[in-house]
Order: sequence, then C-alpha cells, then structure tokens
Amino acid sequence: MTTTRITRLGLGAAVASLALLAGCAGAPAAAPAAQERAAASVDLPATVPANLATATACDDGNESTMSYEPAAGGPTVDAIRARGALHVGVSADTLLMGSRNPLSGQIEGFDIDMLNAVSTAIFGRPTPLQIRVITSAQRLEVLEKHEVDLVARTFTVNCERWETIAFSAEYLTAGQKVLVTRDSDAQSIEDLEGLGDQRVCAPEGTTTLERLQETYPGVEAVAAPTHTGCLVLFQQGKVEAITGDDTILAGFVAQDPYAKVVGDAFSAEPYGIGVAADQVDLVQFVNGVLDQAKADGSWAASYERWLGALGPAPVPPVSVYGRVDGP
Amino acid sequence: MTQTIAPHAAPLTAVPTPASAPVHRTGLRGALSRTPGRLRVAGVVSVLAAAAVGVIGLNAGLAQSEALSDADADTTQLVGIQDVRNDLVVADATATNAFLVGGLEPPEQRARYDEAVASAANGLAQLAGSNAADAELLGQATAGLTTYTGLVEQARANNRQGFPVGAAYLDQASSVLRSDVLPQLDELVQANSDRVDASFDSVASVPWLLALGILALAALVVVQVWLARQTHRRLNVGLFWATVLALAASIGGAVVLGSAAAKAGDARNGPYDATVSVSEAYSLANDAKSQESFTLIKRGSGAAYEEQFVLKTDEARELLARPTVDPALAPLLDDWVASHQEIRALDDAGRWDEAVALAISEEPGAPNDLFEAFSTAASTSLEASAEVTHDALSGSGGSSVLVGWLMLVVGVLAAVLSWRGISKRVEEYR
Repeated sequence: MTTTRITRLGLGAAVASLALLAGCAGAPAAAPAAQERAAASVDLPATVPANLATATACDDGNESTMSYEPAAGGPTVDAIRARGALHVGVSADTLLMGSRNPLSGQIEGFDIDMLNAVSTAIFGRPTPLQIRVITSAQRLEVLEKHEVDLVARTFTVNCERWETIAFSAEYLTAGQKVLVTRDSDAQSIEDLEGLGDQRVCAPEGTTTLERLQETYPGVEAVAAPTHTGCLVLFQQGKVEAITGDDTILAGFVAQDPYAKVVGDAFSAEPYGIGVAADQVDLVQFVNGVLDQAKADGSWAASYERWLGALGPAPVPPVSVYGRVDGP
Repeated sequence: MTQTIAPHAAPLTAVPTPASAPVHRTGLRGALSRTPGRLRVAGVVSVLAAAAVGVIGLNAGLAQSEALSDADADTTQLVGIQDVRNDLVVADATATNAFLVGGLEPPEQRARYDEAVASAANGLAQLAGSNAADAELLGQATAGLTTYTGLVEQARANNRQGFPVGAAYLDQASSVLRSDVLPQLDELVQANSDRVDASFDSVASVPWLLALGILALAALVVVQVWLARQTHRRLNVGLFWATVLALAASIGGAVVLGSAAAKAGDARNGPYDATVSVSEAYSLANDAKSQESFTLIKRGSGAAYEEQFVLKTDEARELLARPTVDPALAPLLDDWVASHQEIRALDDAGRWDEAVALAISEEPGAPNDLFEAFSTAASTSLEASAEVTHDALSGSGGSSVLVGWLMLVVGVLAAVLSWRGISKRVEEYR
C-alpha cells in the first residue's frame, strides 16, 4: 500500500476513512431501498490504512477542501426561491448515494438527502427537487453552463475542479478501493498488476480513471459511461475488477453477491456539493445547511440509513473555511 | 462473263488461271447466280425471320415472367425484413416503456414484448430460408437479437429486485439492438429494394425486345417485294400469310407484355411505394417511441433522445405524406406526436412524475393509446398494400409465359407458310 502520500492529516477525515474502511466486505446482500440491511459488523482490517489526506494545497494558496464561510444567502438563493424549485444534477444509478428506486420510481440516496436538506432550508418546507440525471463526465459542464444549481454526485473536491467551479465544504469522505470477484485473491490493484492482463473499469470523467491510468500502467484501464456501466462489464466478464469510491462499490456489492471490495483505501476522496463558480452566496448558504445537518444529527441519520453497511456513522468531516479567491 | 489472261502478262510466280470460262458455276455464288438458287436463299431468309419472331416472343415472355416473379419475391422479402425490423423496434419500445413503470411491469406490456420478439425470431428464420443472398446478414441479426433479449431479461431481473444496474442493462440492450441488429436489417432492406427496382426495370424493358421483331418483319417484306419483281406476281400467298401472322403475333405480344409491364409499373408507383413508405414510417415511429421513453428514463439528460425523436417523427411524416399512402395515417401520427408534446411539456416544467404517469398511461386518449391507434392503422394499411402489390405481380407472370409460347407457335407456323410459299415458286423452275 502507498503510505508515501501522507501530506496532512485531517482529523475528521481520518476518522471517516477508518469507519468507511471497516465495512468494505460487509455490504448488504440486496435491498431496493437499502432498508433491509444486514448488520455488517465487520472487524476492522488488521492493516490500519495509511492516514490519507483529504486536502491538498492548490496553486492559488487554498486547501482544496477549503470553502466559503457559511452565510444566509444572497441573490442566487433569492432567485431559486422565486423560481420555486432547486435544480440539481444527480446520479440515478449509484445505489446508496443516488439511485432510482425501481419500485417507487424515486431517486434516493445519501447525496439526495443532502440536497433535500438544502431545498428544505431554501423554501422553509420540504420541496421536491427538480432533478436532472447526469453522468460523471457531465458534472462540471452542467454547472459551468448554469443548467443546474447544485451537483451532488459522488463529487470529489480537488484543485483542478476548483478552477472552473466552486464546492461546498466537505460532507463525506470516501476512499478509493477496488472491487473484485468473490474468489479472487487480489487485495489491491498492485496484485492485479502482478497477475497481468487484468482489465479494471472506472467511469469516464472521474478522478478515479485518471489515477488508474497514471498510477497503474500494469493493468488495462477500461472506461464506462457510468459506475453502473462498470458493474455491467464486470458481470459480463469484460473486466476483472472495478475501482472506485468505497461508497459506490458498497452499492455494487449490494447488487451482486459475487463481488467483494478488498484492501485498504489508496486515496481519500472528499465529497463536496458542486456549485457554479460565480454563485458564492449559494455555496455559503449550502455550507450553512451542511453544518446544521452535521450538528443536529440528521447527517448521522442519513449515513446510518444509506451507508450503515460501511460501519456506524463516523464523526462528520470537519468543514474548513477561509477560502480567499486566488490571485 | 469471260476473260482471257495472257500468261506473259502475269508475274512469274502467278498461278495461271484456267482460260476456260465455266458455263455452270458451282457453290453459293453459283447458286445465287440462278433464280432457283436465289429463291431458295430467299426462302431460308423468310423462314429464319418468321422463326425469329417466335423465338424473340418466347424469350421476351419468359424473361418478363421471371422478372415479375423476381420482383414479387424480392418485394415479399423486403416486406418481410421490414416486418422483422418493426417487430424489433416494437419490442424495444415496449420494453423501455415498461421500464418506466418500475419493477412490476404490466402483464399486457410483457405479453406485447414477448409476442414481438417471437414474431421477429420467426421472421428471421423464414427470411434466411427464402433468399440465400440475405442469409449471412440475417445470421448476424439473429445473433444480435439473442444478445439483445438476454440483456433485456437481465435488465428485467435486476429491475425486479430493485437494482439500478437494471437500467444499465436496458441501455446496453437498446444500443446492441441499434448497433448489431437494425443496421444489418437496414442493409438488407436496401439490398432488396435495389433488387426490386432492378426487377421492375426489366419488367418494363422486356416489351422492347419485341422491337427486334420489326427487323424480322422487314426481312419478310423485302423478300416479298423482291419475289414480286422476279416472278411478276403481286402476292405470294404463303409469304403473305406468314407476314400477317408474324405481325399479329408481334402486336399481340407487345400488347400483352406491355400491359403486364404497365400493370407492374402501376404497382411500383402505387401499392409497392405505399408499402415501403408506410413500413418505414411505422418503423421510425416505433423507434421514436423508444427514444421518448429514454428521455424520461434519463430524466433531464435526455435532450439527445428528444432530438432523435423529432428527427424520426419528421421523417415518418414525410413518408406518410407521399401521394400513394393512405391519407388517414398522417393525422394519426400527428395526434400521437401532439400527445408526446404534452409529456415533454410536463417533463420540461419539472413535473417528471406526471410526465411518466402520462407516458405509461393506458387510458383512452393517452399517448400509448394514440400510438396504438396509429400502429394498428399503419399495420392494416401495410398488409393491404402489400397484398395488392403481390396480386399485381403474381397475376401477370402466367400470361407473359403463355404469350411467349403462343408467339413461338405462331412463328413456327409462319416459317412453315413462308417456306411453302417459296417452294411453289422454286418448283416452277423444275
């Protein structure tokens, strides 16, 4: 495992990573809305993962996870309120985070809960989101073109993305892991490299795919339009493994009992809610809502409901503020 | 004519020609120099000319009959392939629409899907048997269909358990259909439509073969004019009747083959054109219906699908506007497209749930009902015009063959008559 990447240890992030790692192999067997949850009290892995940093220092002098101070809103929030609906870009096929429940037809998951909290705060009462289903690759584009107000779609905060859009404070820390077939002995992508001729899938337009191509030339990186597209390829035997955030892989294990998530996280993925770069007041408003949710226990309740398979709800990631717009 | 060649006048190497001039030359030139010989040659020419009329007639009749039956077979094959294509897009439209409903798909929709797939599979096997030229592409299409149905079942099984991966399987199924099955069928449709066009062209051009008969008739007339000069008699009865028969046979053949060609031409510009247009429009409409479901499944990211919808329905409308097509069909298509606008309006206004409810409603007047009305009318019209085309093509082939053989008989008769006519003149020299 890579232990050389430690640059900085965010306390909250480390706790969250530990908690997420705990449940890697114990995702529920099946559950449409993930209610029926196997009490997956998996022992902590013997190898305590490296203390992976969630934040990196960007060229503009800010930490990547650093966002704008919470505030009560401004013109953007007023405009949304006047319009009557919050427009959001989400996933419809990432079980547990944002997926369409085929029984009810509703899109639900941890990401959706966060957005609902924002919508409720804007309008003063629960108000249906106007949902736009997007792929990973569309996330930046829909914000840059102002086609949606917010994007919550397992969206990793990083310096490069800060150049074109803005992010809320971190609301969940995921870690990149690898999913293999139940009978595989591989514990990491390095193991897969050792086996040779292994194909590993990751979705287009994600940090995961980039890292896979750059760091692991020994495996063949296969791109699919969505995470779920990777699961289809995996089930059809067209790839041997999938790499992605543990939050997403947990959803796959829930859909496929012949899949398992192995090894330690080899990167920390701080999730943020994406906002257009010129709508700082909306970012500030969202941050206020997230802080509230982290403090009043609703964040933990959502975590338990959707990601309980990864272990008991950890301490929420600590919001870091003080972003100053770069030179 | 006699000629004496002086030996000294010739070069040394020259072979001296016998000086004696023959009184009776032998060989063809000899025969031609005398009247009975010339008469015999005239007899042969007129016999050949008369027989040629018969042979040309038989060939024309057989060629036209073959072209007609080719056109009929290729039309049937073409309609059959389009039927299969339609079955497949119906199946896909049904599967994607049912997916909007959720895990518990309505039994009627399931039945409609099953029926369409069964009909397509049946059709593919029959088509492969009926024209060997199409077998390879049909084989590829069949393989693609197997993959497609497998993926749909996988989508269904996952959907039934509430797994979102089901949607990804459905997506893949639809793209397999559009990449591995429909293009092959489209290629076959094109190939068969080219073949049908070629057959129609030869049906139309065959009667012109009879124009060769004019040469034969001209030969008969020339022989008679020459004979009249030689014998100072105005008419040779045998040759006269031979000419009349050959002329009558040529005119009769031209009339019958020409009318068969005209009938086929009418079928080509009427019911055949309608069959092909309606079938294509029907296919496009079903394809558009799948796209409609995807605009909703993709929820907000379906702009590309909507573009496809507009493109396909516009194309279908253009086809239905052709003068050969039953004018009742276009308004039915428009009704359905208008109801699609309602779905779009709801979805665009953020009322996705209501849009889906409208899209899957089986109530009278709902989009599904209007689509059903259009597809029933289109199928009925399609079957009717295909039947008319088949009747027009299969009816004329028999008469073309009959006329061909009749012309041969008449040609032989005319040949006999002309030989007898000449023979009488020849006998006068004995």
